[in-house]
Amino acid sequence: MGRYILRRMGFYLIAAWASLTLNFVIPRLAPGDPAAAMFARFEGKVAPEAMGALKAAFGFTDAPLYAQYFTYLKHLVQGDLGMSYAYFPSQVTEVIGTGLMWTVALAGVAVLISFALGSFLGVLAAWNRGGWLDSGLSPALAFLGAFPYFWLAMLALYLFGFVLGWFPLRHAYGHDMEPGMTFAFAADVARHAVLPATSIVVATLGGWMLGMRNTMVATLGTDSIRLAHARGLPPRQVMLRYAARNALLPNVTSFGMAVGFVLSGSLLTEIVFSYPGTGYLLILAVRNQDYPLMQGLFLVITLAVLAANFAVDLICLWLDPRTRSNA
Amino acid sequence: MRDSLRSLLRHRKAAVGGSLLLFFLLLALVGPWFVMDPTDLVGRPHQPPSSAHWFGTTGQGQDVLAQTVVGARETLAVGFAVGALVTLVGALVGVTAGYLGRRVDDVLSLTTNVFLVIPGMPLAIVLGAYLPSGPLRMVAVLTVAGWAWNARVFRAESLALRGRDFVSAAVVTGESHARIVSRELLPNMASLLGSSFIGNTLYAVGAQVGLEFLGLGDVSAVTWGTNLYWAGNDAALLTRSWWIFVPTGMCIALVGFALTLVSSAIDEMTNPALRVHKPAPLPKGTILPVHVDRPAPGVLLSVQDLSIDYATEKGASRVVDTVSFDLAPGEVFGLAGESGSGKSTIGSALLGLLPSSARVTQGRILFNGMDVTALEGAGLRAFRWRQVSMVFQSAMSALNPVLTLGEQFHDTLAAHGRVSRTTSYARARELLGMVGLSPDLVTAWPHQLSGGMRQRVGIALALALEPRLVIMDEPTTALDVVVQKELLQRMVELKQRLGFAILFITHDLPLLLALSDRVGILQGGKLVELNTSEGLRTNARHPYTQLLLSSFPHLIAGDVSVTSHAPATPELSVSRPSTRVAAIPGGHR
Repeated sequence: MGRYILRRMGFYLIAAWASLTLNFVIPRLAPGDPAAAMFARFEGKVAPEAMGALKAAFGFTDAPLYAQYFTYLKHLVQGDLGMSYAYFPSQVTEVIGTGLMWTVALAGVAVLISFALGSFLGVLAAWNRGGWLDSGLSPALAFLGAFPYFWLAMLALYLFGFVLGWFPLRHAYGHDMEPGMTFAFAADVARHAVLPATSIVVATLGGWMLGMRNTMVATLGTDSIRLAHARGLPPRQVMLRYAARNALLPNVTSFGMAVGFVLSGSLLTEIVFSYPGTGYLLILAVRNQDYPLMQGLFLVITLAVLAANFAVDLICLWLDPRTRSNA
Repeated sequence: MRDSLRSLLRHRKAAVGGSLLLFFLLLALVGPWFVMDPTDLVGRPHQPPSSAHWFGTTGQGQDVLAQTVVGARETLAVGFAVGALVTLVGALVGVTAGYLGRRVDDVLSLTTNVFLVIPGMPLAIVLGAYLPSGPLRMVAVLTVAGWAWNARVFRAESLALRGRDFVSAAVVTGESHARIVSRELLPNMASLLGSSFIGNTLYAVGAQVGLEFLGLGDVSAVTWGTNLYWAGNDAALLTRSWWIFVPTGMCIALVGFALTLVSSAIDEMTNPALRVHKPAPLPKGTILPVHVDRPAPGVLLSVQDLSIDYATEKGASRVVDTVSFDLAPGEVFGLAGESGSGKSTIGSALLGLLPSSARVTQGRILFNGMDVTALEGAGLRAFRWRQVSMVFQSAMSALNPVLTLGEQFHDTLAAHGRVSRTTSYARARELLGMVGLSPDLVTAWPHQLSGGMRQRVGIALALALEPRLVIMDEPTTALDVVVQKELLQRMVELKQRLGFAILFITHDLPLLLALSDRVGILQGGKLVELNTSEGLRTNARHPYTQLLLSSFPHLIAGDVSVTSHAPATPELSVSRPSTRVAAIPGGHR
């Protein structure tokens, strides 16, 4: 078990290193003078020596490439991701910090609700195969899943925000609210999260349901289920403890692999609602050509996804006695 | 190939998805000639649908219908191009890794997995921000961000194919790698290539639209993504101009839905298990109402004129045909026959375990005078295991892998009466000891046991409620001969101690003759002969029985000496090889 965890950790370290390196390489692939393109907008805004420090954060020095790479890594280790243009003169790390918190809260909650609800519906659909849930709701959700997340978000915002006025139109909390650990603030945050979270849930629910339904159908055909029925176990126990419990394993694994994909979609949802998470920052960075912020976001989002994947690996380990003791 | 194409067309999902897809392809191809120039400012901004502009106008006064139709062209072109490219790159990397293996596989797999965990959208955004604008940038960015999943799928598939005989044969005959890959591997991946291409196109359309919505496409081009980008920029929501973003979104969803349908149709055709069967309805059977006869003296189980039909797509198919036999308390009764003779179906029917496509159409099964075929719900569950239990052929896979043995014993006992975990575990330890396993295994997981040990657990589980009849459905076929012998010996000892009856189902007639008091021979669903073991050995009447017996030459040659009621002796003659090894001279191990 310890060895398995170490192996996975090794893999994520390699993946993290690969994304750091990509982050270093990508600007240097750009045609022309990448450093000039990257920092053109800062010219005249910062003092020349500050400019040098900013460039150094990305390794843009006159030194040979490998030395640039080490300069870049050194700055990374110190937590220096440079300075944001859009939020001048804030450091990129500060800007990302608050954004990441909102994204993790919104996307995290939405994805967990969607996965839990979708898996449960998938279990029921497979258990009553060919029933209304299976032949009615599945295709309906598959159709909803075909819409881009952000388009569903636009529609939800249009209907429930603009036309009906049930929910706030933008941001994570009202501009008249004082952020703090108060009930009023929490309620306001929840009210602001309803539309974006629901549109993510609606867009992803069908995928989880279908995945669970298919593994569940396969599990239900096994002898382990026949034996459970033969022993006279109550149907609910067979469905949940014998079938669903086993069908869940491959789905948790694919959940891990989908985390990055779902996060990508929820980034776009944030943009529709001007939700102050990393997705919203990302588009600000793109529109303002704020390259330091963009690259910092890429790095932070990637590392967050790697951490989420590692967490899912641990959950799988905990769920499956076979890997638990073999590894 | 033509057959699979035809069945694809017959498939409802494929038909709906395919025609939708065709519609949009036509729209993208010829549609732009029938609408106005999508970039022309033809009217006042934010105008709702009217006869002049069916879908209204955009925030800049362009025709929304024209933008939607023209947008299909580049969106689908880029979508299919990326779909094809991603499939190609993924297949190339995956097949190379899976086929060559070793070092190459290690490196390629690691790269693939790393790219798989790096989130695609941020990577695409950062890449896109640095590359010069244009459709080629979109193709490049989406391919880099999306190839990994495919590589993984193709690697797994080629690993599986690599192990198959026809590929090994090609390797042995010294064919070149290129030839093996192109002649043996790729043709067998045709359906995977097809469904991957569809899946990747789905990904490409979605990701492309997302990036363009962000403004990372060419914002002066007309595509579905840029339509939505401009809808957002020109305050479509604020002005409540739903007509600006609804048509484009619907088109994206319909294309996505069509692709999903086609891909799931391909999946269902290659993996029939996913299909929902709608078998032809079975004729109503002549099942008698529940009634309890006074059991005939000396009869525990009485199968009377039992017929069972399976519903197939071609209509009902009779697998058990008017079978009758009785079984006395404590008797060992054998049912022999080849696979498909209906013997396992009879076993399933005794426990009410027939699959939903099978039905008892005639006759009844009386257990202690009670008709089992009429039981259902709680009554059926109470009957199962308490009266009749079963040892499955595949105890290896029949135990729940995520529960300890103790939990599975507890579930069984708790289903038939209130019982505490402590009591259940104590009983489980006792039962494990009874079948010759260490009681401490109560905390073990199924995967920690060998096949023989798991089959013993299967027996212990079957005896948990001290049933009066234990069905053994080919309980030893998956075990080697030595383990088989030990197991059956144990079973016979337990039977003598506890006094339950056994219905033993197998294709191994010599084994049956050694074990059973009486044996029934099944052929094509009919009971063709029924006699004592002794009677059958010396005087088989039915030609089929004679055939079954003659397929065991050693038996006829008289190299075994078994007597009818000798199963408990240590010399239990079950060490004879089963049918599968009988053909090997000197097959004794």
